[in-house]
Amino acid sequence: MTRTDEELVALSRTGDVDSFNQLIVRWERPIYALAYRVLGREEDARDVCQDTFLRAYRALPGFKGQAKFSSWLYRIALNLCRDWIRRQQRAPVSQMPEDIDPAELLAETEPTESIEDLVARRELSAIVAEAMKSLSDEQRTAIILKEYHGMTFQEIADMQGCPLSTVKTRLYQGLSQLRRQLERRGHGIPELVKRT
Amino acid sequence: MSVTFECGDKNALVAYLYEECEPELRDVISGHLTRCDSCSSEIDGLGWTRQRLEVWAPPMPELGFQMPVPAQEVRLPWWRAPLPAWAQAAAALVIFGVGLSVGLARGPVAAPQQASSPRPTVTVPAAPVDTVSSTDLADLEQRLKSEISQMRTTAPVRQVASSTASSDEEIMKKVEALLTQSEERQRREFTLRSVEMARDFEAQRRVDMASVRETVGQFQGVTGTEIRQQREAIDRLNSYIIRVGQQGR
Repeated sequence: MTRTDEELVALSRTGDVDSFNQLIVRWERPIYALAYRVLGREEDARDVCQDTFLRAYRALPGFKGQAKFSSWLYRIALNLCRDWIRRQQRAPVSQMPEDIDPAELLAETEPTESIEDLVARRELSAIVAEAMKSLSDEQRTAIILKEYHGMTFQEIADMQGCPLSTVKTRLYQGLSQLRRQLERRGHGIPELVKRT
Repeated sequence: MSVTFECGDKNALVAYLYEECEPELRDVISGHLTRCDSCSSEIDGLGWTRQRLEVWAPPMPELGFQMPVPAQEVRLPWWRAPLPAWAQAAAALVIFGVGLSVGLARGPVAAPQQASSPRPTVTVPAAPVDTVSSTDLADLEQRLKSEISQMRTTAPVRQVASSTASSDEEIMKKVEALLTQSEERQRREFTLRSVEMARDFEAQRRVDMASVRETVGQFQGVTGTEIRQQREAIDRLNSYIIRVGQQGR
């Protein structure tokens, strides 16, 4: 029987480390993905992901369940990302290879996807990552939370500590900026996008 | 209350785009989009951008982060759990103190009624003597006489002191016996625990070895599948390169 997050949190609070490890297995990928998209570096994202769970484990006695466990985790991860960027004094840079490595391509190939499609997808992914760099931290974070983590406006507002209308503005302005960037680069593969 | 939408209201358009607006407002905006090219193209453009965002996928390495599970402690019942060193020392002191106070509480032993009552005797092992002369014997007699006379004068005091000393000796003997027993018990428990730990360690080692064997087996299986997939992909890549080369010519 699969336990809910709340049940696993309750067990973890009693010192059941196995339950907390189940929560890690459940949430490590979303947290890593969030950290990667915000920080842009694989190693940094991995470190932040690990640190997030360590901090969550230590802070578990203080977690009273006012928010969803996942929201609480996201908040910790975002704070760590913010600290990380501040500490490293570096702008987020997406780790996109200059050249496409055939070995990596082979590993990523889906059975139904041709090599041509895969190359195009990788190119577009790199362009999107580059375009995301042109956004402000707030806009980028709002778009990441909305697009890739399916949060509501209210959840993003809570996470970013701003009014609901500010979240909508950030999303609108961020998407418009991205659209301009993508159009400027002249890239877009509608056939592929439609398929995905 | 009627819901209104002002043309170009960005917040409302975003809410419509992400389907997070009230159903009434959604209907109003939908109706507006059929009439307003500006808002309609804005929504299309934002949707087009969102579609492109879908391809931005991070590399997914094997994370596998886990919190270390603390080693299972062997929980002994409280009466079997070994006492810390300070507690053992304190217990020894308490036992000694109790014994001493009991001894003192008994008070001094009453002096004998008659002086002729039997005196405590002290036997001194005789040192081996090769030759004994008559002079030596006379000296010994003199010394014994003087000692006996001294004993007669100080007999009651010495008797009391001797009695207290024997009481203390008894207590000391008891304390020593208790300490010896305690040490023996500790030694026995330590041996038992050592054996238990060795047994647990061996059991854990066997479980770990079984797990490693299983993992290696899985890994070998996965590796075989990956090699097959990679071969297929290489074939596809080769055919693609050949095709592109032919097109180039």
